[in-house]
Amino acid sequence: MPWADDVVAGFRSQQVRLVVYVADKVLVPVLDRIAADPGQFRLVPLTREEEGIGVLAGAFFGGMRGALLMQSSGFGNTLNGLASLAIPYQVGFPMLISVRGALGETNKAQVPMGRAMPELLASLGLPRYDLDRPETVESVTRGATRQAFTTGRPVALLLSSLLTGGKGGGF
Amino acid sequence: MERQDVIRAVAARAGDALIVANLGSNAYDLHTHGHRPGNLYMRGAMGLTGSVGLGLAMARPDRRVIVLDGDGSLLMNLGQLATAAAEAPANLVHIVLVNGLWQETGGQRIATAGRADLAAIARGAGIAEVAEAADLDALSRVLDRALAAPGPWLVAVRIQERGASQAPNTDPMANRDEFMRAAEGFVAVAPQYERA
Ligand SMILES: Cc1ncc(C[n+]2csc(CCOP(=O)(O)OP(=O)(O)O)c2C)c(N)n1
Repeated sequence: MPWADDVVAGFRSQQVRLVVYVADKVLVPVLDRIAADPGQFRLVPLTREEEGIGVLAGAFFGGMRGALLMQSSGFGNTLNGLASLAIPYQVGFPMLISVRGALGETNKAQVPMGRAMPELLASLGLPRYDLDRPETVESVTRGATRQAFTTGRPVALLLSSLLTGGKGGGF
Repeated sequence: MERQDVIRAVAARAGDALIVANLGSNAYDLHTHGHRPGNLYMRGAMGLTGSVGLGLAMARPDRRVIVLDGDGSLLMNLGQLATAAAEAPANLVHIVLVNGLWQETGGQRIATAGRADLAAIARGAGIAEVAEAADLDALSRVLDRALAAPGPWLVAVRIQERGASQAPNTDPMANRDEFMRAAEGFVAVAPQYERA
């Protein structure tokens, strides 16, 4: 999966060390690569995505760079953490979100949050970049991650099923 | 024992520890009775106070991290106890003030006023060191251990609610910047702050 190599390279280039997540099938190649490099990354499974906003805020205040990995329904679980902690205290981190409910989706329960997510991000004033073309994955990940840390703001990286093939690996 | 007694006892022993205070009463009383640069006052994010402490403890294993949580806030995010137990930072001292109420919103009774037992929940989650205190002598003994011996610790402190101090309207960014300087967090996050 070259796209997963590129995402991890983008994180590594910006000294991301703490990766907190709730799994999604699409994220597995990224998670595997992160788990394979414990010298660079500490990988922490969460019980709920909002918990990750707290953990990353604490890490940021202490000088450690982190990233949050989740699926789009998990983004729905983060909202008040973003609104009342990450945004007012200017905590920066990239959120790598696998977009469910879009092209090729077979699960109706994934559709509403997948649809709502771009507008939720926009109404929170959070930047959003799409990972949908193989040739730009590394540079977009690197730039968004850098922006997140230096501007003190969460930035969304949306993993498109056009790039990943979706949950089944190809629709 | 009242909240102010707990806050004073913690502040007196904190040294260079970093303290994260739950939104509402705990933040107000910590600001009133023990303000210092190494205090982070939550203004929202109910439920995440302990998670912030966990992230800090992972980022700064060289410093003690003290969380002053509320029982309502902890009940909102019980999963954090399982995560803290799994990551097991030895420097984390998570203190929860158990008044059995949502004090900040008018004192409504919650599950900890009845059968819910946060110390038992923490033990079940796998937290290495769990202690309880219901009076000042017990609290002093527990704090002396928790601030010296490896954790992670969860200390459940039963308090009688008498109301919190007047709310200081702390500004999140002013607080954050002062706290990050105390935590020496700027360098790794955004080096340009240091050069400015
Ligand atoms: C998500 C969310 N729900 C509700 C509130 C309103 N609220 C603010 S403080 C609080 C009670 C917190 O209870 P606890 O942690 O026990 O602290 P106490 O007020 O008793 O000190 C509530 C319900 C809020 N700020 N955020």
